Amino acid sequence: MSVWATLNRTVFKRTSTFALAVASGTFFFERTFEVASQSIFERINKGKLWNDIKHKYE
Amino acid sequence: MTAVVRAGHLAPYFKASAPVVSNGLKIVAAVPTPVDKLVVKPLENTSTVQSLHGALPVQGLKPKCSTRAPFQVRFAHTDVAVPDFTAYRRKDNQNPRVKAEESVNERNSFTYLIAGAGSMAGAYAAKSIVTQFVSSMSAAADVLALAKIEVNLAEIPEGKSVTFKWRGKPLFIRHRTPEEIATERAVPLESLRDPQSDDQRTQDPKWLVIIGVCTHLGCVPVANSGDFGGYYCPCHGSHYDASGRIRKGPAPLNLEVPPHAYDGSLLIVG
Repeated sequence: MSVWATLNRTVFKRTSTFALAVASGTFFFERTFEVASQSIFERINKGKLWNDIKHKYE
Repeated sequence: MTAVVRAGHLAPYFKASAPVVSNGLKIVAAVPTPVDKLVVKPLENTSTVQSLHGALPVQGLKPKCSTRAPFQVRFAHTDVAVPDFTAYRRKDNQNPRVKAEESVNERNSFTYLIAGAGSMAGAYAAKSIVTQFVSSMSAAADVLALAKIEVNLAEIPEGKSVTFKWRGKPLFIRHRTPEEIATERAVPLESLRDPQSDDQRTQDPKWLVIIGVCTHLGCVPVANSGDFGGYYCPCHGSHYDASGRIRKGPAPLNLEVPPHAYDGSLLIVG
């Protein structure tokens, strides 16, 4: 209840803070999104990647 | 008796015969009319603007009185239901007894949250696209892998010029003798076509590192030949000295010195 009110008054109402929130949120979103998609890719391709066969050659 | 009367200035005179007279400004007194006795009178045959105007209930009041039939006035439109917009309203706005400003923070925050999340995803997508296009302009991994070479200088004897391949081009490394160094340092800059002192071209005077591509038309010069004891281009006869500077022939510039650094006895080019 009051969380929404605080959020609305401090962040969303002013365009500058809203833009700042979007920009800083993008930073964390990018990191999360890329780590997540990378882990999904590695799970799907398990056994075919260099990291999985590395121990045979080193 | 059936009379069609226009309301307005004549209305007061017809009050006696019309039990209910309403004129839009006053409250309509409801007259219970049995549904089965309702008579819908079709529009009169209208052929002109005047007759149409008289037939439509657009101005004043037009009571129709009859001694036999009940009359009706259909101005209030109480039979038209107010549309229900409940499905389109936010949950916080559904109750008409709750003030809208009490829930304004929740509603605004939700809207802004959706807009913010959308812009965040858009910014990420735009950044990825731009990064991809910009990075496509940089050198490929196989080129970068060949971009640097290491040369063990201990293997090159004094007075010898060795050729390596660096970024697809011949690279000359020359271990110069003290006499050659002295000769090159003594050359007056005014006599040179492309004036560069020997210090500008070498980091360590013992080692000359140049790219073996003639600056005239791109042939590979021959080492340890020519009039000046350096390099000689057999294609069109350009003579370079032991510092790789053009001294004679058609070439306009000195042989190029690539960026290089020394790490002990290792030379790193690139």
